[in-house]
Amino acid sequence: MGRTGLTGLAGLTAPPAESRLAAPADLPDRSALADRSGLAEAAFRTELRAFLGEHHPGPTPRERSVRLAFLRAWQGTLTDLGWVAPAWPRRWGGMGLPAALQAVYHREMALGRAPVPPTNAVGIVGPALLRDGTDAQRERYLRPMLRADELWCQGFSEPEAGSDLAALRTRAVLDGEAQDGVYRVTGRKIWSTNAPVAHRMLLLARTGTPESRSRGITCLVVDMSAPGVRVRPLRDMTGATVFAEVSLDDVVVPAADRIGAHDGGWRCARVTLGHERSTSLTAAALRYQRVVGDLVELARRRGATGDPAVRQELARAVTGARLLELNGARVLGRVLGGRDPGPVSSVNRLQHAEFEQWLHELAVRLLGADGLLDAADPRLGTDGRWVRGFLRTRGSTIGAGTSEMQRNTIAEKVLGLPADREET
Amino acid sequence: MTATAQTELAGVFDFSPEHDELRATVRRFLADRSPEAEVRRLMDTDAGYHPAVWRQLAHLGLTGLLVPERHGGAGSGCVELQIVCEEMGRALLCAPFLSSAVLATSALLHAGDEAARARYLPGLADGSVIGTLAVTEESGSWRAEDVATRAEADGSGGYTLTGQKLFVLDAAVASLLLVLARTERGPSLFAVAPGAPGLAREPMATLDATRKQGRITLDATPATLVGSDGGAAAGLAAALDVAAAALAAEQAGGARRVLEMAVDYAKVREQFGRPIGSYQAIKHKCADMLLEVESATSAAYAAGWAVDARTDEVGVLASLAKAYCSEAYYHCAAENIQVHGGIGFTWEHPAHLYFKRATSTRILLGSPTYHRELLARRLGI
Repeated sequence: MGRTGLTGLAGLTAPPAESRLAAPADLPDRSALADRSGLAEAAFRTELRAFLGEHHPGPTPRERSVRLAFLRAWQGTLTDLGWVAPAWPRRWGGMGLPAALQAVYHREMALGRAPVPPTNAVGIVGPALLRDGTDAQRERYLRPMLRADELWCQGFSEPEAGSDLAALRTRAVLDGEAQDGVYRVTGRKIWSTNAPVAHRMLLLARTGTPESRSRGITCLVVDMSAPGVRVRPLRDMTGATVFAEVSLDDVVVPAADRIGAHDGGWRCARVTLGHERSTSLTAAALRYQRVVGDLVELARRRGATGDPAVRQELARAVTGARLLELNGARVLGRVLGGRDPGPVSSVNRLQHAEFEQWLHELAVRLLGADGLLDAADPRLGTDGRWVRGFLRTRGSTIGAGTSEMQRNTIAEKVLGLPADREET
Repeated sequence: MTATAQTELAGVFDFSPEHDELRATVRRFLADRSPEAEVRRLMDTDAGYHPAVWRQLAHLGLTGLLVPERHGGAGSGCVELQIVCEEMGRALLCAPFLSSAVLATSALLHAGDEAARARYLPGLADGSVIGTLAVTEESGSWRAEDVATRAEADGSGGYTLTGQKLFVLDAAVASLLLVLARTERGPSLFAVAPGAPGLAREPMATLDATRKQGRITLDATPATLVGSDGGAAAGLAAALDVAAAALAAEQAGGARRVLEMAVDYAKVREQFGRPIGSYQAIKHKCADMLLEVESATSAAYAAGWAVDARTDEVGVLASLAKAYCSEAYYHCAAENIQVHGGIGFTWEHPAHLYFKRATSTRILLGSPTYHRELLARRLGI
């Protein structure tokens, strides 16, 4: 889990359109932000729809150079008006919502086609700080992270430590005391999403013996502008450079920037916050239903909906998207009923990854000979999204834990089959 | 789907303590009265069920779950029915439950004929009557418009039926036969009494012996019209949607059971000095089975919830559930045999019983291909 984050900036394929950048918002005092955690669902929904009606910046631009600025501006708007991080405590800039309202939040954002946040801050990095950081660290880092003023990347995977993350070898040597000394970090990280534009990295480094596995790993915050940090962008198979290889050569990190205990960083790799995952997957499921609707439109435009074989495939596509929604709703039902999310929650992510990959394969098959074209070819027009998605989703079953590792985890953690490795 | 329906979705799967209690009661009952040995014994009988167990099911109120209270039933919803079917699927219960308490009962409920309801439902509810619904013929089609069996008015308010019905569930033991036949005005539903002249019933030797099927031959057999002349199609479709939701739940229950069998075996069976469940080849099979079992459960209950909430999505979700649960159960039952290896291929091991039930339920009420086409149509694709 939490190995790399291939999904980061890529987001779902979105139709191109001119961007309307959100107007720079005033910075209200955080304490002045409305507390919406006690609202009834209907009232909350009304407020959120009103917010989107007034502030929605329009479709996310595809052009990479303007896309990031667009998304950061949107993130600023969300943060300043108190519509960000639904599961986080209000004290740290979140909304402090109960699970039911989190679900409404994600659903409405999806239905309203709100842009997908540009960072993994809310997903992985933020929760790690919320759980294991000090108040000083939270004070320093969380708000700029939420506003996307400071972009973060993860330094987890290494060339020789992918699925077997506990084999990582980047060394961090403590120079001085655990409280006020410094760590000197040397090693190589890879598949760091957003690293070319990131200001900070949440790093996992070896502080124990080489054999210490998960017991000798420490979590540090690295300033990406520090001497010794070098970023080499990696071009992925879509042609984009979303992630990078990061080399660290005797980089100095103050011990004050350690998250959690010395040798106690492994848990940073697997933290999620409350029900954020189960509630946000519901939103993803709704977006897929829209994508499936677009796919049916594609088949119509191509005159393929009379073909019995295509009709079977379209029915499978509808089924897949609905199952994601229904499984998500089932988890939510359990959570709202005060029960644990249950086994269904563990299969959701695997199902999402496999489904979106299959869905884009189907779309490209529907394109027929046009599937031979590059996504940017004018003949494809907006259908270039399917070709782009087709390539992008090869990463869906690799990033953030391969589907194989997820199946291992399901088999061992949920079904109780015996492990054949150390950490799982 | 409307935004309102989405909001309610989270509540679809929020089972009440009463639901949990119903499930526990049925599970205990079936563990006691439908163990594997009893399933195997009934497979070898012509009737295919145990009358005493049937009476006990009736006593528990299960045969009348869908029947309104004014007709002597429990007046429960489809979700309660599904809980029961899920447990029956786990236990491979041999009983005419699907034919009588689901198909025949639903057909009557949706036929738009209050007199027929008052006449037949009390007997179905208290288990004294075993009903079945005869739709399929030589073609195996479940579509009303494909029916070939002819019905002719006898001039005194009654009808006579001529034709042949195949794959009729529990045809041999049913005391109320609801038969789809074609009048000049179109597909219509008829009630046929067991001793009617010109009626012949013979068992079909089926792959799945845990659920009996038979052939019904009608030769100018007197019958009573249920509902309107030529107006059976819509009611039949609605009844089949309820039955699809119930059968999907049965499939989800069976699929969960075979997953448990596979996982339990993979934990204890050792080869090369390790439990086979420690090998990724087995782990990944089991993980995929869990994904299918969980999705099948979600799909089935969503369909049942739609029936109870009378949403406009009943048809869509029923076809979605029937198609998905059929394939999920079949795949899990096949993988269970594979995980068990040689022992899973033997007659003595129950794996093949589930595999055969999965195969028969996959075809029953229409194949996955049929239901995906239906799903596409119902979505306007």
